[in-house]
Parts: sequence; C-alpha cells; structure tokens
Amino acid sequence: MKELIRELTQAFGPSGSEAPVRETIDTLIRPLVKEVRTDALGNLIAFRPGTGSGKRVMLAAHMDEIGVIVTAIDDKGFLRFSNIGGVNALALIGTRVVFAGGAAGVIGSEPVDELKDLKLEKLFIDVGASSRAAAEKQVGIGDMAAFHGPFQDLGDRVVAKAMDDRIGCAILVQALRELQDSPHHLIAVFTVQEEVGLRGARTSAYGAEPDVGIALDVTRVGDTPKSRTMEVSMGKGAAIKVKDASLICHVGLRRHLVEVAKAHQIPYQLEVLERGGTDASSIQMARSGVPAGVISIPSRYIHTPSEMVDMADVRSCVQLVVKTLEGPIDL
Amino acid sequence: MEARQLLKALSEAAGVSGFEHGLHPKLQEAFGPWVDDMRIDALGNFIAKKTGPGSPPRPSVMLAAHLDEIGMMVTKIDERGFLRFTRVGGVDQRILPGLEVMVHGRQALPGIIGTKPPHLLAPGEAAKAMKWEDLFIDVGLGADPAQEVVAVGDLVTFARPYTELANGLQSGKAMDDRCGVVAMLICLEWLKRMHFAADVYLVATAQEEIGGKGAIVSTYGLVPDVGLAIDVGHGDSPGVSEDHTFPLDKGPVLGVGPNIHPKVHGLLQKAAKDAGVSVGTEVLPGSSGTDAWLMQVSRDGVPTGIVSIPLRYMHTSVETLSFADVERAGKLLAFFVAAVDGPFVEGLTWS
Repeated sequence: MKELIRELTQAFGPSGSEAPVRETIDTLIRPLVKEVRTDALGNLIAFRPGTGSGKRVMLAAHMDEIGVIVTAIDDKGFLRFSNIGGVNALALIGTRVVFAGGAAGVIGSEPVDELKDLKLEKLFIDVGASSRAAAEKQVGIGDMAAFHGPFQDLGDRVVAKAMDDRIGCAILVQALRELQDSPHHLIAVFTVQEEVGLRGARTSAYGAEPDVGIALDVTRVGDTPKSRTMEVSMGKGAAIKVKDASLICHVGLRRHLVEVAKAHQIPYQLEVLERGGTDASSIQMARSGVPAGVISIPSRYIHTPSEMVDMADVRSCVQLVVKTLEGPIDL
Repeated sequence: MEARQLLKALSEAAGVSGFEHGLHPKLQEAFGPWVDDMRIDALGNFIAKKTGPGSPPRPSVMLAAHLDEIGMMVTKIDERGFLRFTRVGGVDQRILPGLEVMVHGRQALPGIIGTKPPHLLAPGEAAKAMKWEDLFIDVGLGADPAQEVVAVGDLVTFARPYTELANGLQSGKAMDDRCGVVAMLICLEWLKRMHFAADVYLVATAQEEIGGKGAIVSTYGLVPDVGLAIDVGHGDSPGVSEDHTFPLDKGPVLGVGPNIHPKVHGLLQKAAKDAGVSVGTEVLPGSSGTDAWLMQVSRDGVPTGIVSIPLRYMHTSVETLSFADVERAGKLLAFFVAAVDGPFVEGLTWS
C-alpha cells in the first residue's frame, strides 16, 4: 500500500486545482466501480451498486491539499503569495514549492526581529529567476503551488506532503480493492475544496442523497513532546471521531463503528478534536440531514510538507471501512 | 405531563448538542396526546405535527425551540484519573471552578470541577480567569477505575437541581431553551380550544448551540410558509445595560430587525393584543443568534419571526426565568397560529 500512498501524495492538487490528482485517482478506481463521474466543482464521484437492499453509503476523502497562490511578481523576479487553506508561515521558511507546470521555488523571508512577526506578507518565493521577465516565463499571477514533500518510508511510519488527505484517498482506494460483497450502494467521493471550507462535500452530498455518510480524514495526536492534551496516539489504531470543531458525529453511527471494530478485533481509539473540521460536517447538513461520522487517521505535523502516519493505523482504517461496508448498518 | 413539570423534568435531564436523544421520550410523552404525528430526524430534531382541520392546500407554520443545552465533553483521562474536557457550545470557563457536574459515562458519575486552593496561587494568579487547559474534573476515581467507567467523548453536564424561587421565578440549567419547548406545549393546549387553519410543525431543534444545525435541516425538509423561533432573551440583572435586557414577568419579547419579516412581526403584535399578553421589543440589528437566522435562508427563503422569553444568567447553571412568561409565550404562539390563514401567507410578499 506504500506505493499507492507515494503515488497519491506526490500528485498535484491544491484546493480548486485538483485536476492532476483527480486524473490519478480516476485511473486507479475505474476498474473497481461501475461508474465514475466528475461534478461541477470537480468532485470525483464513483458508484458501486450493492448486492442487497442496503443503504446508500457515501464515503468521502478529500483530494485537495493546502498550498500557495501567486499574488505579485516584483522587478527582481521574486513572487509574493497568499495561502490556499490553512498555511502556517512558521512552517514555510526554507521549504520548496512546486507549480502545476513543474516550476519550483524556494520560500525565503524578509528579515524579522521576532518570530511572531513572521507573517505570509514577509515571505516570498524564489524561482531562480533574475528578473520579472524571467520569472514570468515560468509562472503567472494566480498560479498555485503545492509543497515539495517527497514520500519517505520510515519503516512502520511514512511521511510526505499532502498526507492530509491523500492518506484518506489511499484508504478509500484500497478499501474498494479489498471489498468483496457489500449490500450497500456505495458512493465513493474524492472531494475538492475541503481545505477552504468543506465545499466539495457539500455539493456532492446534496447530489448523492446518501442514507449514511462517512468521511476519511486525518486527525491530530497528543503523543509528541509537550503536545496539547489529546488522547489520540500514533499506532493505537483507527480513530473514530466523536466531535471536532465542525460537527458532532451521529451517535448511533459512531457506536456502530465501534461495534464493528470490536467485532473484528480492529484496533481503534475514540477521538475528540478541539480544532479543525471535516467533510462529514457538510454531509451531515445536506438537504434534510444525514447521519454522518468520521474514521480518522492519526497524523503528526499536519499542514507541513512532512505529514506522518503509521502504517498499522492505515491498515486498521482500511479494515474498518471494509468491515463496515460488508455488514448491515442499522443505526 | 403538565407544562411546569415538563420544564422541571427537561431542565434536570441531560441533552447536550448532538446528544438530545435522552430527552426525546419525555417529549413524545408530553406532546403525544396533542399532535397527529411525531418523528426524530437524522440530526436529532424532534418534529411534531398538528394537522390543520381544513382541506389542502393548508398554510404551514413552523415553530422552533431548541432542545439542546451547552455542556462539556471528556477529552482525556489523565494518569491520576482526573478528567480533562472541552466545551460543547458557549460554556464560560469563569463559572466552572468549584462547580458540580454529572459525567455521563458507562453510568452517570457525579464529579466536581476542581481548582487550586487560594493559599497555593502564585502572585497575580488570583486575578486571572482559569484557562481551559488548566481545568479538570475529579470523580474520585484513580486512572484504572476511571477508565472502566469513563471514555473519551463522554458528555458532562451541570449538576443542578431545578429550584423554585419566590414570586414564581424558576431557576435551573438548560432553561435556554427548554422553556421555549415548553411554550410550544402550552401553545398546543390553547389550540385545542381554538379555531385555526394551518398545519403546525412544532420542532424541538437539535444542535442550535453549535450553529443552528437542527434548524437548517429541519426547515429544509418542512418547507414552511412561516417560521417562528422561540428562544431566550437576556433578563435584567445588576451590571448589565437596561438597553439590552428585559424584566422578568413582564411578558415575552418580540424581535425586530433583518431576521424578522415585518408582516410576521405585525401578526405577532396583533396576536399579543388578541391574547391579552404584554410584550416587549428586542432590537436585533444583525444575526439574531437563534434558529430563525438559519430558517430564514432555507431554500428560497422563509418569512420568520422571533419570540424571546427573558432569562437571567444565560449559559450558566442557574438560568432564571418567570414561569408566567413561558405561559404567556405559549398563549401568544397559539393566537399567532390561529391568525395564520391563506390570505396572510399569500400576503407575505414585498409588492
């Protein structure tokens, strides 16, 4: 599965510019489902009919990643930029970014007296150009770039850019590969624009009219030195979300996921995330409301070029998705 | 169940946003005898319907009072058995130290929110409000036994018995907005003896305190011609401006502002007059902070109005109101519903 994770994390796709990653996923899933289509926002929506009279189950993993967008180019060829999604200036110094066309750049900073003064306005991208004209040959205003963050295999754990939420996409693809018979009509959605407001899930859930919605996304952990209080740890299993800042998960669905995990001896942990949101919130609010929950992948260093996950947790998440889809979902 | 008993029962029961299901049986029991249909939707909204007497098409009125209360949730059980927690909805951490709570684990477990003795405070520390990360709950158990009863994600509510004060004032937790739910029951009791034309949806909405989520999905499904939110307004008390607060026992308050359709407001005023209920006026220049704010922009728009019951000490465990105001609000709602007919609904246009 590491090769799948490598391929997905390395695809390009800041929010609103998801075409490259969408094509990558489209190729991977086409043999696994009955029908694939792309909606007006760019969501990739795959349908796989059930073998029985199950529910319409929407699974969502967002394929967009955070990134930067060029706002100005100066006479010496330096680019100024704004953020796409939750980009932290402190995580940018010395990092590299890559544009859709292949151009790359280094992020540098004006001198600042104190770290707290380090705002995006103080930063610039150096694409190696010596003049505005040279820079404009490579990039233009409005071009988006993603972090350069190669996939690295650390053994039990792996690290790359865009693990948020390509790891969710990888789990969904892998679950489609491993799933045998499911009574449920499955709607697998690789959503767009999650990082700018859970927007792709909103339109796709409206269109899909599911009976149940489950998002697959990363969550924080509380097991790094002096981290904020949080019970979730790396390597302790799939995280079943109770609450984040965007939603309170459907109690019946959450309990059902716990029961499935227990029944199949899948390691799991309960998650209360005080900040951050997920596509499940948008699914929950579609039309007259949808029971929604989240299976989260414990992750470190979220929203940096080096996001880390534990392969045992990834396996637990795949199993939990598969086993949930194979059995009845009575809430 | 009689209205006052329902308010006491609801105030003392637990139903934090997203976890309102424990309250649904009480509503089914109380509303059942008065309505034609009841159901619970995917978000936890309790939706009751009283069908109008005439033949369709009948106008429809949606009354919404939120069922959820603010509360807390366990985030971690530490190595000594103390519980760390976060808030669900707008809990004010200033009121928490020293408070008694109920932890809804495998079984209900009383706990207290502990705090440092004043003798042990560092210089200057007493002047500062405690931060969330410094707060903890002590249920008296060590780590291992605590793990057996309590899990991450368990709910915590204020432990506060309902108290009757002098002069008909009632105090308790979660009066916001269970008093609005009770006003809907009183409305039904009045309607039993009145002529009315409309279908009435009485929605005890879920998840209001975390963004009006129940109102959004329930309004989408019901597509009402008119919607009213019944919620609480700030009661008068020392230290708060009289411009933004309302006395207790002087009747409910009608909102005015962009969230309120002028013709709905006009009909509420007329209903108040017909019912013999005195009402105040609450100016709401922007978001009303009620379910009506979300109901108004459902689908292609819903004309909305707001009836508020004055409440002191909002978002504390000692929310205090006059039960007579709840009764007046219920009567006002009934007279409003009775006044909604085809011509009124057709007249809700701006031309």
